[in-house]
Amino acid sequence: MLSDRLRFSDIRRTSTFRLTVMLSLVFIIGMVALLGSIYGMTARELTARSDRILRQEAARLLTVPPDQLPAQITDEVARNLHGLNYVALISSDGEQVVGNLRAHGDLPHDHPIDIEGHGRRGPLRLLAVGTPAGETILLGRDISQIRDLREHLLQIVVATGLVMTIGMLLAAVALSLKPLRRVRDLQRASREIAGGRLDRRMPIAGQHDELDQFAATVNVMVEDVGRVISQVKGVTDAIAHDLRTPLTRVRAHLYRAQFLPDVPTNFSALAEKAVTDLDIVLARFAALLRISEIEASARRSGFASVDLSHLVENVFDLYEPLAEEQGVTMRLEESALAVVEADDKLLFEAFSNLVDNAIKFARSAVSIAVSQDSGAVVIDVRDDGPGIAPDERDAVLRRFHRGAHASGLPGSGLGLSVVAAIVHLHGFALSLEDATPGLLARIRIPK
Amino acid sequence: MSRILVIEDDPITAEEITAELGNHGHECVWIADGAEALERATRERFDAITLDRMLPGLDGLALVSRLRERKIGVPVLMISALSDVDERIAGLRAGGDDYLVKPFAPGEMATRVDVLLRRANAHADDATLTIGALEIDLRRRIVCVDGEAVRLLHIEYRLLEFLARNVGQAMSRSIIFEQVWGYHFDPGANLINVHIARLRKKLDRPGRVSVISTVKGEGYRLDAV
Repeated sequence: MLSDRLRFSDIRRTSTFRLTVMLSLVFIIGMVALLGSIYGMTARELTARSDRILRQEAARLLTVPPDQLPAQITDEVARNLHGLNYVALISSDGEQVVGNLRAHGDLPHDHPIDIEGHGRRGPLRLLAVGTPAGETILLGRDISQIRDLREHLLQIVVATGLVMTIGMLLAAVALSLKPLRRVRDLQRASREIAGGRLDRRMPIAGQHDELDQFAATVNVMVEDVGRVISQVKGVTDAIAHDLRTPLTRVRAHLYRAQFLPDVPTNFSALAEKAVTDLDIVLARFAALLRISEIEASARRSGFASVDLSHLVENVFDLYEPLAEEQGVTMRLEESALAVVEADDKLLFEAFSNLVDNAIKFARSAVSIAVSQDSGAVVIDVRDDGPGIAPDERDAVLRRFHRGAHASGLPGSGLGLSVVAAIVHLHGFALSLEDATPGLLARIRIPK
Repeated sequence: MSRILVIEDDPITAEEITAELGNHGHECVWIADGAEALERATRERFDAITLDRMLPGLDGLALVSRLRERKIGVPVLMISALSDVDERIAGLRAGGDDYLVKPFAPGEMATRVDVLLRRANAHADDATLTIGALEIDLRRRIVCVDGEAVRLLHIEYRLLEFLARNVGQAMSRSIIFEQVWGYHFDPGANLINVHIARLRKKLDRPGRVSVISTVKGEGYRLDAV
């Protein structure tokens, strides 16, 4: 049975949730791609700008005569006029001649590279160029600010992605809740309609959306079904009722005719047989009307707390003499304490029919048990008779169907239909199972 | 002879009721209109009323309610084509004493009227019922046959008391099931038969006819033997 509590698993299965998530993901991917491109282009441009400055300075220093180069570099370091943070002249044997930058092993000439910071020095963009005299000029530019800028840009991209993802999930949940609640209301209404309340209608929120359109369509259908059922029932009841009245009168006349003076004996015998047959016909009409009445009633006014074990004990007391007379041992095996919401008169009628049936078909034993499992109260009526073949178990719940083993036994074929109607009215479940040997009729009452 | 007010707007049904009650030795007054019936029932004394549920002038439910409001406690058998359990409950709650669904066997209707009449005439201080060799102590719920106590189960005692209170009159299986067990469905002929058989076994004495006789086509009757 469907739970009425909303869970996240229910929400994430909704179309609204999935659609919102899908559209939001496309938007987030687009946003991240855009920010990523801005980040990439900015990082490349800043690096290229550093490289251009380094190359211009290198070109300028290469124009200085070799003998003046150490003095020029010393002067550059002292003044730092051109925005160069670090300059050094490295001899051909790898030793620093002048400058504020130590040699860094074999560096590729004319290809700027990044080197990480060391001590108080930040990360550098470093360019090595060779002089005609075989020496190497090292030019370095502090790229701490560029690095910081890149990191900030990356943080913005990640944070934006995270915030948008959380926002998207919250929006998807919020957007899904209302439609899901409406679907739950529709499900509740449809369960009640399926349970026989044809006067119930699907709720319409007045938003004229697809759910409202669906509910309105179902309502029209329920209206039509209700009208057809009530017409059919009306005709059936009218036939049964209108036939019962004259038949009852015929029975009364025949019954009285038997006792009239000077009536031939053979007429009395025939009249008595006709009265017996009419009683059977009238009983079947009564049972038919009873089923229609139960099916159509959907009434819950007679519902109250019913002590099941007490009710079953009463059914046992009522039928135990009948079982004894038919040589059948009847046992009340288990009688768990259980109180359920039900119409006690109707429930008594249902159990009576099941027990009556069990006694009719039992070879030697019938047992009744009331037990409880985790989700339901279970009432079992078991006999050791021929049972009912699996493919016939649904059919015997229909009106007038008599089981393969019922020929020659009294009965109208309506008893189990009455049970099915009562069980359905209460929202309980009736099952017919194999008792190996015999039949197990089980009523499950959900807690 | 009891005086019965028959309130019924259908002349054929009314004739059936009056004829059958006449056969049972009652004097009947037939009225078709609800308002007129209320007037007569208020002004005159009747021993019982059979009341159709749907009447012109004043509805049967309203009629019985007005009677009870006026403190007229005459037993009322409601007769109706409305068989639904809710209708039955509504009829009894309004003040009806019994409820019979149309179509009905006239004999059963008359039996129900007789049961109501006896119930109305039974005195609360009745201590014992003595029927031939059978003696029932109503207060202590003790049953004796020929002065010898008979042990009965609770339901057997109720069955015997019901038959004893209607001694000499055949009670149908459906009336017995309704009055003794309190249910309104057909439990099948055999079920009441076996309960009667059990009771007979405890009450009957060798060489004597049974205190409970079977009346073919009608039911069971307790007689003084």
